[in-house]
Amino acid sequence: MTAFPALLLPLPVAIPLVVCAVILTTAHLLPGRLPDILAIGAAVSVAVLCAVIARYAAQGPIVYWFGGWEPHDGVYLGIGFSVDEASGWIAAFIGMLYALTFVFAWGFFDRTHGHFHILMLLFLAAMVGFSFTRDMFNLFVWFEVMSVAAFALTAYHLAESSLAGAINFTVVNSLAGFLMLGGIGLIYAQAGTLDFEGIAAAVARGGRDPVVAGAFCLVAAALMIKGAIVPFQFWLADAHAVAPSPVSVIFSGSMVSLGLFGLAKVSAVVFAGSAQVQQALPILLIGLGSFTALLGGWMALLQRHLKRMLAFSTISHAGIMLAGIGALTAGGTGGMLVYVVGHGLVKGALFMIAGILLATQASIDEIALRGLGRGIWPAGIAMALAGLLLSGLPLGALDQGTRLVQGALSQQGHGIALAATAVGAALTGAAVLRAAGRIFLGLGPDPGDEAGAPSEDEREKANRPLWLMLAPCCALLALDVAIPPELIAHALPRAAAAFMHQPAAGALVEGPAWLPWASVAAGLAGAGYGLFRNRLPKIVVQPVSATQSAPTRALEFLHSGLIGDYAAWLAVGVAGIAAVLAMV
Amino acid sequence: MSPRFRIALLVLAGLVLMPAAAQVMAALPPFGSTIARYGARINAITPEARHVANMVSAINFDLRGLDTLGEEFMLLAAITGTVVLLRGRRGEGTTGRAMRLPGRAVIPRSDAVVLGCRIAGPLTALFGLYVVLHATVTPGGGFQGGVILASGTLLIYLGEGYAGWRDSIRSHWLDALEGGGALLFALCGLVPMLTGAAFMQNILPLGTFRDLFSGGLMLVENLGVALAVTGGFTQLFLEFMEETREAEEPDEPGEESA
Repeated sequence: MTAFPALLLPLPVAIPLVVCAVILTTAHLLPGRLPDILAIGAAVSVAVLCAVIARYAAQGPIVYWFGGWEPHDGVYLGIGFSVDEASGWIAAFIGMLYALTFVFAWGFFDRTHGHFHILMLLFLAAMVGFSFTRDMFNLFVWFEVMSVAAFALTAYHLAESSLAGAINFTVVNSLAGFLMLGGIGLIYAQAGTLDFEGIAAAVARGGRDPVVAGAFCLVAAALMIKGAIVPFQFWLADAHAVAPSPVSVIFSGSMVSLGLFGLAKVSAVVFAGSAQVQQALPILLIGLGSFTALLGGWMALLQRHLKRMLAFSTISHAGIMLAGIGALTAGGTGGMLVYVVGHGLVKGALFMIAGILLATQASIDEIALRGLGRGIWPAGIAMALAGLLLSGLPLGALDQGTRLVQGALSQQGHGIALAATAVGAALTGAAVLRAAGRIFLGLGPDPGDEAGAPSEDEREKANRPLWLMLAPCCALLALDVAIPPELIAHALPRAAAAFMHQPAAGALVEGPAWLPWASVAAGLAGAGYGLFRNRLPKIVVQPVSATQSAPTRALEFLHSGLIGDYAAWLAVGVAGIAAVLAMV
Repeated sequence: MSPRFRIALLVLAGLVLMPAAAQVMAALPPFGSTIARYGARINAITPEARHVANMVSAINFDLRGLDTLGEEFMLLAAITGTVVLLRGRRGEGTTGRAMRLPGRAVIPRSDAVVLGCRIAGPLTALFGLYVVLHATVTPGGGFQGGVILASGTLLIYLGEGYAGWRDSIRSHWLDALEGGGALLFALCGLVPMLTGAAFMQNILPLGTFRDLFSGGLMLVENLGVALAVTGGFTQLFLEFMEETREAEEPDEPGEESA
């Protein structure tokens, strides 16, 4: 007989699955809006259940054995869920994000036979299962369910661009699935069990073992592909840019960061006993993370397709999260966990604004939209606020996560990584602020012929009132700003320590207080430069354009959209991880 | 990137990965030398604990039933996704009757084919049912049996022609079969919780070892999988065959993007 809080653990996974099966069975009988209502109800109940679980998990991780197969004599027979406080809150955040996304998508997917809701609910169940499980193969199952649901959702528009993006997404993420399965096979061959704790014990017993290193290499590569870390990041911009806006909210707000969340959990729990892996982690994660933060930020600045810009900004922020994990301290990982929530809230809001523009102005091109946003100025205020938060405005959860990550990095003397986190945030903020200024204030030069967007015509159905689309967006931003920092500061040291299976740490160190302000200032300066370049004296403009043109062209050349290129870079990335593991 | 550069990159990566892979393979336990402790333990306890002769079914539906539940819904996601992609521009509307391209001749099939299909069809369905029902005794189970049953419906197409096939298949029934099977499986997890047991705990009488009715709850879960797989795969066949059908009325502008 299972005691009370543990009893709840299967429900956040089972409820969306049951609702999705019911919708599929009865779709043709249900009246128009019922799938919307059912989906919102399911997402809200997931959020509430996960929050309750997280509250109880504050006293210690809650464990649940499916089928009643509890471990006997150290042999793990069945599958278990193990939820610590942090995992519980992350799942609650995801449920909440889904609920608001369903509100945002209210009526958006008319005439779809409930297919959108079915796929989204499966996606939700998979994400919760992914955060709760303590079994390596079960982790893979939820990883794959996420991928399969996501492939179809990406291609939903069935336009040429969305099919191309979905194909790239499918191929790269299927490769990730193969890598992960291979890694699990290796670790199972050596450990003889699939349970996190069981593997961890076997790894700790084994000493330096190439099989363990190989398993880590493959699993880490798979999770980094999900997390869009350079050089695995190519698929993300292709997919996020073309998916329907409500789906992009989920992709950028939770799917990408969940990959990194998984990486943090696997590194801290499963591979804790391998000195080789633990030595390689800081080099790998901080190095790749810093590089990703810079490259993503720069690419974001180069885009005029708003959703593609936001997608690259997600890559940049994924890099910052990865650097946080790489610090291997409670501060770094705790900061990453807060960052996941803060970033998800802000980025979700931004993708909703992109959706609002697609629906009301029938375009997603920054230049073509110049000045067209004046009529929907409330969205402009939200976008400006989101841009400032993205660039590091010291307010709300995203900022708190940033400062914790920066604190962990500066404590260990990773000066370059520290700078990369600030610069990455500034670049993405600059891109968003520039777009906000151009679209909602009509700033910047008159584009003339350039206004014709090079991408194909895109629009989304304009059948919803503005307030209905804006309300969930503002709710996300308000949540980011309103989460009381003291609450996080109080709970986080305990939660991060429990997440990493380490003894509780003291208060967490925050980074220098001036750094967020510096990156906000840099973000505003970057946005100003982008908008008023032609009014600046030549002496300022010329050196900038001279130094940035060659690397920019190289970068654009690399983002070719060709799947063969992406696969080649993927192999290079796996080789890079293997090389670092071999050298430490 | 030029193909040459791409291959150079791949070769470069291979130069690092090959020695690493060789090292990993050398360190793996030799092939067939040991049965993993996990497998040995399962072989030792399941016949007694679950009265089941087919270990694979015991693992799939009981010990690691949650994985199978995940896989079942992954299949559902894949089929729903395929339906979304294939319906494409022709939209949501489905017709109850077969569509045919004007001007294309309907080639009559030979009596031998018709007779062969009429004999093989029921036999295939029977065999599918057999595989489904004996999940806990002999190799096979709901998934395999479900695929066989769905292939049986294809024999109707082969023997009776497209119109005949469409007369015997209803898209809504398939949705109901697929969703209902998945729902049954999910409920097999939830219902034991009402009695105070764990999610998917085997609370039904276990039956006799090597008997058709052995394994308790596994049989119900297995039935759910069989229903879902039969419905899902037949739905796939239907969608693939209808793929080229055009929309009946042109969409309003902008509608197709949502």
